Amino acid sequence: MALPISYSWRSLIARGTRTTFTVLVIALVVIATTLFWSLIASLKRTLVSSGSPENLVVMRKGATNDGSSQLTLESLQAIRFFEGIARDADGNPLISPELVVQPFFATTDGGRENVLVRGVEPMALRVHDEVVIAEGRMFTPSSGETVVGRGVSRRYKGASLGDELKFGRGTWKVVGILEAGGSSFESEVWVDARELANDAKRTLPYSGVRLRVAPGADMDALVRRIGDDPRYALEATREIDYYESLSSSANTLYVIVIGLAVLAGVGAVFGATNTMYAAVQSRTAEIGTLRALGFSRGSILLAFLSESVMMALFAFALGAIGASLLGRSISWLLGGIAFGAATFTTNVIQLHVAAGDLLMPLALSLLIGVFGGLAPAARAARMRPVDALRKA
Amino acid sequence: MGGRGDPPRQGRAARDPPRWGIPRDGGLAVKFLPFVLRNLARNKLRSLLTASAIALAIALVCILRTMPAGMDAFLSSIASNTRISTHNEAGMVYQMPYSYLQKVRAVPGVVAAISWQWFGGAVDASRGVEFPNFAVDPEDFGRVYEDWNVSQQALDDFRKYRDAAIVGRGTLEKKGWKLGDVITLQSTLFGLELSFRIVGEVPNPRAVQLYFQREYLVQAFAALGTPLDSTGMIWSRIDDPERVGPVMRQIDEMFRNGEAETTSETEKSFFGNFFGSLKGIVTVIMIVAGIVTLCIVFIAANTASMSVRERVGEIAILKAIGFRSRTIFTTLLAEAVLLSTVAGAAGALISLALTSLLRSSLVSTGPQLGPLTGFVVTDAILVQAIFIAFFIGILSGWLPALGASRRSVAQTLREVF
Repeated sequence: MALPISYSWRSLIARGTRTTFTVLVIALVVIATTLFWSLIASLKRTLVSSGSPENLVVMRKGATNDGSSQLTLESLQAIRFFEGIARDADGNPLISPELVVQPFFATTDGGRENVLVRGVEPMALRVHDEVVIAEGRMFTPSSGETVVGRGVSRRYKGASLGDELKFGRGTWKVVGILEAGGSSFESEVWVDARELANDAKRTLPYSGVRLRVAPGADMDALVRRIGDDPRYALEATREIDYYESLSSSANTLYVIVIGLAVLAGVGAVFGATNTMYAAVQSRTAEIGTLRALGFSRGSILLAFLSESVMMALFAFALGAIGASLLGRSISWLLGGIAFGAATFTTNVIQLHVAAGDLLMPLALSLLIGVFGGLAPAARAARMRPVDALRKA
Repeated sequence: MGGRGDPPRQGRAARDPPRWGIPRDGGLAVKFLPFVLRNLARNKLRSLLTASAIALAIALVCILRTMPAGMDAFLSSIASNTRISTHNEAGMVYQMPYSYLQKVRAVPGVVAAISWQWFGGAVDASRGVEFPNFAVDPEDFGRVYEDWNVSQQALDDFRKYRDAAIVGRGTLEKKGWKLGDVITLQSTLFGLELSFRIVGEVPNPRAVQLYFQREYLVQAFAALGTPLDSTGMIWSRIDDPERVGPVMRQIDEMFRNGEAETTSETEKSFFGNFFGSLKGIVTVIMIVAGIVTLCIVFIAANTASMSVRERVGEIAILKAIGFRSRTIFTTLLAEAVLLSTVAGAAGALISLALTSLLRSSLVSTGPQLGPLTGFVVTDAILVQAIFIAFFIGILSGWLPALGASRRSVAQTLREVF
């Protein structure tokens, strides 16, 4: 016969202080690991959600990112006529030649960061169809206007709609705010490609090309066709793979966070074990009575184990709420967390605890509950009813 | 329980326990040390579990603290305040004419100056740039970086051989390269591939950069048919720390309204800004370290309150036979402090072992996290950790000890017996 679950529950409540301390310990471990985990996951989400599966990034061979690539006008002309590129109603290929530079931007707290400025042509909004002008309008070419990402507009001086934004050699009027579903385009500033090339004194106006593959066309064939052309030394990558590769630096961080979680988790297991041993010890008589009443060893084990797991789960819930609130406040206080990605450009990340980010902390809490409760529960189960009653 | 107090009283204490109640304040904790140790040993499993939990948490705090501390150490070990950087006002990727170097060298107060051109070289292009590498002017290299202690032999070879490279010790160790090795880097920026002969090192484990002759890059550009007449940065050494400010202003003034307007700043400020974008992560790390510290407080407080509660009856008896509240308070507090401090010291040692493991296993973290992933536990971190543990002992032991020492004897005895 199993002991009812309410037995474990009531036992927890009966010794309030001890339970509270342990719950707090586990909850704090949950908060710490969740914060770290979601920070990295937010970075990863930002980068991985960037780009479209139908788009290709074309760069000079060997270039690992937008910022370090350069493209000649001849190669751009050549790409225009490759087969398999989508076209709009007027028959223009959906090709967006782009120039990327990373000038300094002044942060509101007096520092400076490299922000990715993308020089584009009007076609850009059609190729990057996830990017929308959420407020204001698109810039007019050659008029010193710019549209800035949502993350940029929150973080830097003069980057709000209607402001005069200083970067590079000039001053630009912010006429629109970009949104792109939280992806890294929201950490970018878009201006007219020609104007940007003049500002940066670039002889070659483009660093790379983004293009949309025609529906039904063989993407791999197009990738090969671009890569194999010996005249231009180009390389095409799927846009999603490109951003995936930028996010790979986050993988090392995951290893660190898991190490952190293991260390903190083992510490919390020790804390929980202590509490449960004390619980077993103070209830020796009770356990003896239960055994005398005919409850089996198994049901005693189960009761104490569920007490420990229940405690851990309650702590998890508390920790999850705490982490989510704390993450929000940190994000809000810092105006987003800057993350220098592989290109030295800054991605502005909103620290957001997503449901998926809670899986690791949940597993951690369960393990803390089980391992913290196992030895004490076993001790309780091993007690001989006669001894237990006599000791009491 | 052998008293270990002042010599005249030695041995007497055990026979005459009430006298313990008339202590001389300073020696109280030491005198009762055997008593405190016995109490800790009473529930060995619990003390061990608590100590292990605290030790692990302290180790964690130490490891987390290495990240921001690595940044500070980097800035103070690498950066000088008489070396200045001059770069395009608009940003690091905006170039300046190479002729600026001669103009900077001519400014009074500038002892030596060299240009830096980012090469973006990668050992394996698919893995990206693992360490920064720059084309520089070899003639003045030794004079600009006097404080780096690059050997004279290396500096001579650096000037003599076109393909010579000087590499930071951090990178040599990480990649397992030795002096004399020939390595090849593919530029992710220029589509060039150049081979270098390593002729010297920057003898500092935090130094990761590779430097090679600018002329080598100029020739490679010439072979492509494109001249290289610009540079990304100029680094100069100023003769007198007092003159640094005026010299920087003079340089920037000189290029005002020129082809490229410049910003000059000290090396410290340059790297401070360069890694400025890591500030947010550092903040999160510090918050997490704070949370873990709070965790330790709760673990320790839980144990302290549990051991006090179990001994309620015993404490009442001690009081009944004449022990003072203050004595009881002190011994209980000492118990918490001792446990936590010893555990803290053990945790500090664990962090040393874990960080050396981390350093050897993390092969590549990419350059962008730079000084954050050095994982070096400094003496300061160790000392701080032990202090934190000590204060946690006091914090966690205070309330339970105070409660126990203040409890009314009659009330307790009635409850317990």
